[in-house]
Amino acid sequence: MAFLLRRLGFYLAAFVAAATVNFFLPRLMPGDPVQIMFSSAGAELPPESLQSLKLTFGFVDGPLWQQYLTYLASIFTGDLGRSIKYFPAPVTSVLGQALVWTVGLMGIATIISFTVGSLLGVLAAWRRGSAFDVIVSVGAIFATSVPAVVTSLIVVFVFGFTLGWFPSGYAADPRLDPAFSLQYVGSVLYHGFLPMVTLCAVLTGGFAVTMRNNMINLLGEDYVVMGRAKGLSDHYVMIWYAARNALLPTVSSLAIAIGTILGGSLVTEVVFNYPGLGNILYQAILARDYPVIQGQLLIMTATMLIANFIVDVSYVLLDPRLKGAL
Amino acid sequence: MRVLFDGLLRNRKALIGAIILAFVLLAAITAPLLTQYDPSARVGRPHQPPSLDHLMGTTRIGQDVFARLLYGARTSLAVGFGAGLLITAVGTALGIIAGYRGGKTDEVISFLTNMVLVVPNLPLLLVLAAFIGQASPLVIALILGLTSWAWGARVTRAETLSLKQKDFVKAAEMIGEPQWRIMAFEVFPNLISIVGINFIGSVIFAIITEATLEFLGLGDPRAVSWGTMLYNAQKASALSVGAWWEILIPCFALALLGLGMSLLNFAIDEVANPRLRTGNWRNRWVFLVRSGEGRL
Repeated sequence: MAFLLRRLGFYLAAFVAAATVNFFLPRLMPGDPVQIMFSSAGAELPPESLQSLKLTFGFVDGPLWQQYLTYLASIFTGDLGRSIKYFPAPVTSVLGQALVWTVGLMGIATIISFTVGSLLGVLAAWRRGSAFDVIVSVGAIFATSVPAVVTSLIVVFVFGFTLGWFPSGYAADPRLDPAFSLQYVGSVLYHGFLPMVTLCAVLTGGFAVTMRNNMINLLGEDYVVMGRAKGLSDHYVMIWYAARNALLPTVSSLAIAIGTILGGSLVTEVVFNYPGLGNILYQAILARDYPVIQGQLLIMTATMLIANFIVDVSYVLLDPRLKGAL
Repeated sequence: MRVLFDGLLRNRKALIGAIILAFVLLAAITAPLLTQYDPSARVGRPHQPPSLDHLMGTTRIGQDVFARLLYGARTSLAVGFGAGLLITAVGTALGIIAGYRGGKTDEVISFLTNMVLVVPNLPLLLVLAAFIGQASPLVIALILGLTSWAWGARVTRAETLSLKQKDFVKAAEMIGEPQWRIMAFEVFPNLISIVGINFIGSVIFAIITEATLEFLGLGDPRAVSWGTMLYNAQKASALSVGAWWEILIPCFALALLGLGMSLLNFAIDEVANPRLRTGNWRNRWVFLVRSGEGRL
């Protein structure tokens, strides 16, 4: 318990630190952030309306420490201010809409890649040196070393533009109204297919390599040799002696992958013009929409921290050697 | 160290990786000999397909794609190796100091490292680059170097902790060697494979991230690099007007360099950790039996 409490304390501290960076970043940049923010919107504003606008956006006057405390208080009450680009929509609702698309897209892609990648890794390690292992290893190395930008662009070029099999933008046909109808759901799946394939291509290799290397390290362990010496079948030793233990470190990379879901698909979403969180962050950066950028960073940090905490808990639960720590 | 290099020479992955890297390096160095065009100048009509005049076609504004590719390789390699060096130096130094000194120093550095590790990196980089505005390749390299050292520091610290218990370190302490000397000449040389993996991994990361940031339009659009090639091609809707050469050529260049560097990385990993090396069926058995005797 003490272990988990200590971790929880650390994550809370990390969150406050991230919020602090978030608060000071725009203020450290040259010039008055508020001025820059509104001057980029175009028109020259009279001071009094600028003042009232500042208030609407939640900018507080007063000494820096007071602004900082107000900011922290508003974060913990879930108030992230209002978007500039989509004024007067609050940041939380802008992000909330995008969140659904990203979680759907990245969530499914992560689950598929984790399952397929781990399986390939186990088999490749077990048949080390075979043609299968060579294909999986080289394929995985290749897939992980090609930047996501490149994979996305090539997929969109080949299947979206040249062959024209799949649409190259939007999450669904824009002419359709969102509804729980067969037509709309079908359109969502059709539009989501290419980004999904791209993400799976980017993610699977990493899981396969991790799993393969874990397995190979474990295959040298005494208890695996012991299992074989007992005359257990290959499959039994592979699954219940080696793979089961090799999965432990992979769980942590899965959790980290889940933690980065919200930011991990940014490039793919931009290339496929998919209305997820990554694309929203990108648009916000182009439009200098500071409240959305800050809100986005906070949400990403929070998910990452929660994912890390889940790793800690799962380690304690999965690894009997750590039981004492509870 | 000797063993490491001997092993690398015999490793096929390392060989292919090194050949790819050498090829890109050579192309970057000899760029002025290979093309007569200035990479930034308008030297032809817009969007010409590949021909003898323009080996890889021209861009929307009539720049020679082949010249941009060659000169862009210089930027990618410089940013990659520069940032990689910075990331590795900071990470290794902090890791060794934290691991060897222990106590309060370790607590502070570890806290800092863990903090940096849990904050998502790419969005933070995006925001930093956006706030700085039109970041030049040098600025991108500096941002990358100063924000991405945490993984290396954590791994190095863990290794240092186990090295610290070894007899030769204890012996050096008995003789009364100063701490900095132990860290630099006893601990560091034994971390060389980790430093190598960290360095090459960081170079890959820096090359990819620089290209990504520039593709997203956060870099300086006038710089000649593979990322800005992609950005300009995307802005000129090269894909939808059928100018595939403008976008696919930098794509393949990035993929090739990434592959070469990854092969090198995997090779070092295999040589440093022989269990990962591919062997035939018999070797595996010999290995399984022998591994009972002594852990690597």
